[in-house]
Amino acid sequence: MTTTSLATTKFTVINTHVHNIDGVAKVTGRATYTFDVKLPNMLYGKILRSPHPHAKILKIDYSKALEFPGVVGVVTGKEDTLGVKQGIWRRYQDLCDEQILPLDKVRYIGEPVAAVAALTEDIAEQALDLIEVDYEVLPAVYEPMDAIKKEAPEIHEGFERNINVTRHIEWGDVDEAFEEAEYIREDWFKVGGQHHVSMETRAAVSDYTPDGKLTIYHSNQSPYYLQALMAGVLGMREGDVRVISHYVGGAFGGKFELDGAIFCSAVLSKKLKRPVKIIYTREEDFIASKRRTPMFYYVRTGVKKDGTFLAREAKVFTNGGAYTGMGATALYLTGFFHSFPYRWRGYRYDGYRVYTNTLPSTSMRGFGAPQAMFTSEQQIEWIAADLGLDPIEMRRKNSHYPGYEVPGQARIESCGIDQCYDEIQKWIKEKGKLPENRAIGISACGFMTGGIFNWFDTPYAFSAAMVTINQDGTVELYVGAQDMGQGSNTTLAIICAETLGVKMEDIKLHASDTDHCPPDLGAWGSRQTLMTGNAVKMAAEDAKKQLLEFAYAHAHIVSKTGLNIVYDLDIKDRWVHNVARPERGVDYSELVKIALRGKEGQKIVGRGFYTPHRKGMISPAYSYMLQGVEVEIDEETGKIRLIDSLTAHDCGQPINHLGLIGQLEGAFSMAAGYGYLEYMPFEDGQLMNPNLVDYKMIRATEMPPTAVAEIDTYEPEGPYGAKEAGEGLTNPTAAAIGNAIFHRFGVQMKENPIRPEMILNALKEKKEQKKSGKKNK
Amino acid sequence: MSYKCPVCKKEWKDSLQVARHMFGTGDKPHKEWVDEQGKDKGFTFIDLMIEQATTPGNKSYVTLAEIIEKAQSSL
Repeated sequence: MTTTSLATTKFTVINTHVHNIDGVAKVTGRATYTFDVKLPNMLYGKILRSPHPHAKILKIDYSKALEFPGVVGVVTGKEDTLGVKQGIWRRYQDLCDEQILPLDKVRYIGEPVAAVAALTEDIAEQALDLIEVDYEVLPAVYEPMDAIKKEAPEIHEGFERNINVTRHIEWGDVDEAFEEAEYIREDWFKVGGQHHVSMETRAAVSDYTPDGKLTIYHSNQSPYYLQALMAGVLGMREGDVRVISHYVGGAFGGKFELDGAIFCSAVLSKKLKRPVKIIYTREEDFIASKRRTPMFYYVRTGVKKDGTFLAREAKVFTNGGAYTGMGATALYLTGFFHSFPYRWRGYRYDGYRVYTNTLPSTSMRGFGAPQAMFTSEQQIEWIAADLGLDPIEMRRKNSHYPGYEVPGQARIESCGIDQCYDEIQKWIKEKGKLPENRAIGISACGFMTGGIFNWFDTPYAFSAAMVTINQDGTVELYVGAQDMGQGSNTTLAIICAETLGVKMEDIKLHASDTDHCPPDLGAWGSRQTLMTGNAVKMAAEDAKKQLLEFAYAHAHIVSKTGLNIVYDLDIKDRWVHNVARPERGVDYSELVKIALRGKEGQKIVGRGFYTPHRKGMISPAYSYMLQGVEVEIDEETGKIRLIDSLTAHDCGQPINHLGLIGQLEGAFSMAAGYGYLEYMPFEDGQLMNPNLVDYKMIRATEMPPTAVAEIDTYEPEGPYGAKEAGEGLTNPTAAAIGNAIFHRFGVQMKENPIRPEMILNALKEKKEQKKSGKKNK
Repeated sequence: MSYKCPVCKKEWKDSLQVARHMFGTGDKPHKEWVDEQGKDKGFTFIDLMIEQATTPGNKSYVTLAEIIEKAQSSL
């Protein structure tokens, strides 16, 4: 990946070439992932799973399993957890609908039914076969449009027609705007699910000790959430649950709810008073974690003939699977981002999340926006073609701009989408004429920088940080943020070093341990750089202010810096200096020693926190981007090959330059997979390809160049002007691929992932239509 | 003029907003009130919701808004 930046260098650490602070531990194999944790006297757990998509549990007999040599204990819902219901939407108890180890009913194939702990993993696995479960199989339903029918089986009591959650967004007079429209287009889309495929599968080691303390090593993206949720389901004090997640092998939105590994290992450990380790196999991770939410999308758009956008209406049914999870948030966000990055005089969205007897769906990188953009950005391209308009210029004239207010929802402060259009136009022009089997597709989008909504109902600040300064001037930085591979630890250390005026190597970051770090909502919705970053900046500023108070008052420093009352002091690169005359100053460690003496030996401690206020309904800031993808399509086989790409990307001020490149490249691979490869077929509720042979992901050799043109903007709410990067780029690619296919063949792809047979069928249909003289619409 | 929710008595300037509130809240008392109004007319809360979801336009909200307007005098 290459990047071109318009940013000027004004920092000593920010946006410089800084390697990941945990890089050496990772590449030398010293990083301890949950998979690597081994405790004395530890047992190994395995989970018995439902073979039925919908069934009553009549009886569980595990007596034979208990007699099996090496088996130490078994837990079930009926005996051990008493069907405790949980969910991450704690603010709404109705939506806390999941019993991990259900009492009397299973709702999807793969749902945990019982868990065994044994001396080895093999013994635990064998013991599962000895547990006898009597089921009464119930009728099941797998698709949302079937599940809302009157005759459909009821999946959760009290949820009529299986409707789990609804969401409505509306502004302006939609009907009047449609009446003014000179051209109206409506389309139905079927948008697919996607598996998170973290390199590290769900994993937990729980250690309950007789003093009533439960320590859990767990692969997740929010130790605080997991601590609070586990304390809730086990009826423990929050402080008696310690969650440690030092290294996490990917999460992508799939690891901030309770999973079977953490829940069952903790329940077993509490019962047996021994550490218990549960690691999901890859197949278990596929069938019994969660997935990106599949959706049926109806989109109706009204425009003027000159391409002015007037009205849009969307109605969406999502396949929620068996439980709510984070799906309720995805339902709102898909509706909100479906309007992005454009101005609509009237906009109406009705979203319906429907329970089915399939794997639950939840948040995944992009959080509902990839589905929204697949439908929106393709339809916009078709409208431009129908009206004979330039698709980039049509987008440009309707786009957001700095200071624009999305009615009742959000205020846009920084917005570089206009410059994004320029960059992609230039790129397309430079490409010139393409070979006949290739075409370029484009797609725009915008994305949030952290969520404002507090569905978890936390009483704490959304982010917090603490800085302490040692006698030699080195710094301990404590955050509750979670690095799951995206490089947030490095980003936060950069912000701390820049703010305090020290070097990167001075910072030691402490994170991912609820016993020692402040609560933080963790890594989701692209929140950590802005939210935890602001908390870190505040904590470092607090510490720096305390240091400088001693500098202003100390005669030696006053004389060295030539200070008088009108001059300011600052610290940069460990040099405490007069801002007006930077050459006059003292060494930073000298000031630290003076401050320590002045505070009677107390360490300097800086504190910071951040919670967004008066920033609308959704997010404090929004990133913007336009992506172009050059695609080659084989007319004989329908096979797609990605040749080249450029994303013009406005993420405000980049903080961690190398991290940004890695994030954007990773997001592209996931987005491309969603566009044309990663398919999750179900038959009678059973996932047909739960392995990495049959579930096709993009490989390194299939990745096209993924260049990025950084657009230089400044986001006033972000630390040093920074905002989202790395999640939003998951959103445009599926539509860009669809648009390339449209420009190559004139066919419209209304389902993803776009598979070869779909292209061949569309071409066949087009030929037949041509024969019969019909126009493809 | 303002319009009250017939169940929780919250007020909005527009009866359509009250209808949106009732659909959005969707708890037992709100559902029951709509079901009661639909008894003679042959619809239920969930029927209206699914019609709103599966057909273009805003028909269900408008239907409910009209019922809410008529009910104002008795609140």
